[in-house]
Amino acid sequence: MEFELTEEQKMLRETIYQFSKNEIYPNSKNVEYDTKGEFIWDNWKKMAKMGLLGFPFPQEYGGQGASVMDTVIAKEAFAMGGADAGTCLSWGAHTILCGVPIWQLGTKEQKEKYLTKIATGEWIGGFALTEPGAGSDAASIRTRAEKKGDRWILNGSKMFITNGPIGDVFVVIAVTDKNKKAFGISAFIVEKNFKGFGVARELDKLGNRTSPTAELYFEDCEVPEENLLGPLDLGFVEVAKLILEWERSCLLAPAVGAMQLGLKRAVDYAKERVQFGRPIIQFQAIKHKLADMYVAIEACRQLIYRVAWMKDQGMSAYLEASIAKYFVSEMVVKMAYEEVQILGGYGYIKEYLVERGYRDARLSTIGGGTSEVQKSIIARAVLGLSGREIT
Amino acid sequence: MNFAFTDEERQIIEAFADLCKKEVEPRAAEVDREMKFSWENLKALAEFGYLGATWDEKYGGKGISLPVFQAMNIELAKACASTYLSVSANLSLFGHTIYKYGSDEQKEKLLPAMTRGEFVGALCSTEPSAGSDVPAIKTKAEKKNGKYIINGTKTFVTNGPIAEWFVVLAKTEPEKGRDGMTMFLIHKDTPGFSVGKPFHKLGVRGSPTSEVYLDDVEVDESAVIGEVNKGYWQLMNVFTFGRIGIASFSTGIAEACLEECIKYSTEREAFGKRIAAYEEVNFKIADMKVYTDVARQLIYRAAWAYENDKPDAKALASAAKLFASEMATKIASDAVQIHGGYGYISEFRVERLYRDAKLGEIGEGTSEIQRLLLARYVEKVYGEG
Repeated sequence: MEFELTEEQKMLRETIYQFSKNEIYPNSKNVEYDTKGEFIWDNWKKMAKMGLLGFPFPQEYGGQGASVMDTVIAKEAFAMGGADAGTCLSWGAHTILCGVPIWQLGTKEQKEKYLTKIATGEWIGGFALTEPGAGSDAASIRTRAEKKGDRWILNGSKMFITNGPIGDVFVVIAVTDKNKKAFGISAFIVEKNFKGFGVARELDKLGNRTSPTAELYFEDCEVPEENLLGPLDLGFVEVAKLILEWERSCLLAPAVGAMQLGLKRAVDYAKERVQFGRPIIQFQAIKHKLADMYVAIEACRQLIYRVAWMKDQGMSAYLEASIAKYFVSEMVVKMAYEEVQILGGYGYIKEYLVERGYRDARLSTIGGGTSEVQKSIIARAVLGLSGREIT
Repeated sequence: MNFAFTDEERQIIEAFADLCKKEVEPRAAEVDREMKFSWENLKALAEFGYLGATWDEKYGGKGISLPVFQAMNIELAKACASTYLSVSANLSLFGHTIYKYGSDEQKEKLLPAMTRGEFVGALCSTEPSAGSDVPAIKTKAEKKNGKYIINGTKTFVTNGPIAEWFVVLAKTEPEKGRDGMTMFLIHKDTPGFSVGKPFHKLGVRGSPTSEVYLDDVEVDESAVIGEVNKGYWQLMNVFTFGRIGIASFSTGIAEACLEECIKYSTEREAFGKRIAAYEEVNFKIADMKVYTDVARQLIYRAAWAYENDKPDAKALASAAKLFASEMATKIASDAVQIHGGYGYISEFRVERLYRDAKLGEIGEGTSEIQRLLLARYVEKVYGEG
């Protein structure tokens, strides 16, 4: 066992941290974007230029060839420097949820056509699995894909799709053989200009408002047969296997960075704020909160790094990823709550980013598999239960 | 980064877990009921090479790394928390003090014999009116004609009734506060030294605890451990090490709870189903898995940081101890809940685990003290720049 970052990793962390602090934070701290629910294009362009959007992809497709660990370190540092959660979320949906499946499962042609554009940020990517009637129970999706000649015809709708309103390309999951249940569901690469594809509506939401979300529709949407991603009927299973672990480590890495920034904010405030004649940091009730926040951060980082490390070793991190997802997301919510509590009234108003952080945090226990789904996965693994048995 | 043990390390841990399960666990109920430390257990641990395993080979150690040692500790605590607590006070408090600060002579005299399980040691810091507040101790060591005369009363001394050797913290220059305390090595048969009757306790009843009385105990300068007036700081360092050990204590208990709940919930039926099928039960079990896993991660990290003298080692040790001890009491309570009425009777292991778990939140610095230490650290590290 060894828990030291390499010199290169420390440098990477510092570089991304400074980049975020100097280039991204000036935009991210502007609460207007959040209030209006606007995507911060200037951030996106800067991230593209920095090479972040294709960070883990091979260099031949315009990426940086970074390991999962380096990707996680970069994401953590990015949020630590002050990047808003919405920007981090859009980055995750783009690079991890859309990019990684194309990189890992795509043909050479698909990679050349799509991955390079995703890596450079020329195109924005998204991932469309969830439907109005199928969230945690992903295998019950209804969107159908039927083969007609050299095309697939998709019909259905997709819900809560991150980057939906601004995306150029989506990995879309649809049923290809209803009888085979989870083993009859495939993945497709769909461009926004394909006939029959459209944004049904943009969704207004509680937090992560700088990351636009939409409901998408597919009405006899025509997808060329070469845009089938991965094996027919097994695309869902393959994509799920792939992204669950990536998603559960990489999408939460920014949260660990945000927690550190949050703790710093809380300490700064508690040192300045005087009540009853002394800085509130001198009260044990405040000290105890700060201590708990530190413990949470150290634990969360360790869990995220472990999944990343295991993935880099080619190990399966199925259980570890669920543990990380569940624990980290619960801590994110708790931390955000305590941060507001420490700042009191100032934590409740928009001017201080703590209010936004509180709303942003709430997504973490829902997106990417709810806490309840994670617990169910863990319980089944530990107890050797089948899904059908659970009451 | 490397989150895995080597194959060899894994084999050691597994072999040790096996020993604990076969030798130590079967005696756990009796050890608790009879309130007796098991010397048979100590013998078995010595034969395995666990005692002092982290020490240098010249003192009979095996030179194993601290994360591996903690993984072993978790297995022992899982098998019998009482035995672990006594052995841990022996190794991680008493033994570690000698190993880290003792003179060559002290080390040679004590450490090899400890690895053979020939005796156990104890560390005395707490007094009837000074626990968390260590500088408030009253025990004094006065220097007279090249000798130290020590007077005072120590309490809650783990291994007090069974130890042969004691590390005693006393004030050598009371006016200097933290910089006026010294550690002494004292044998139980030294005139004026005596121990009280074992306390009756809530849990870890097989690990005897007592008061220790020092009435004009006279020792040579050679009894000083480390440096004169540095005793407090030495103790704090030893506590950092010891806290990781308490985190392992708690984690072992919590994992034992998880083990019992898996067994019970997959056998016990209610309303026509195994109770494991109910989310009310299996979500609690999922939490046990998650929280014990997180605790292990914090422990490994803290152990690694301590071994490598990292600046955050002390904070990480407190974090591990705080997290592990609080999750363990919660898990033990849930484990009793899952067992229902059976969880409340002594025949079932969880009843004992429930009682044993509580110590983790108190021993070697209460949760509240850990939080204050951590807050001080956080203020310094996060409050900069």
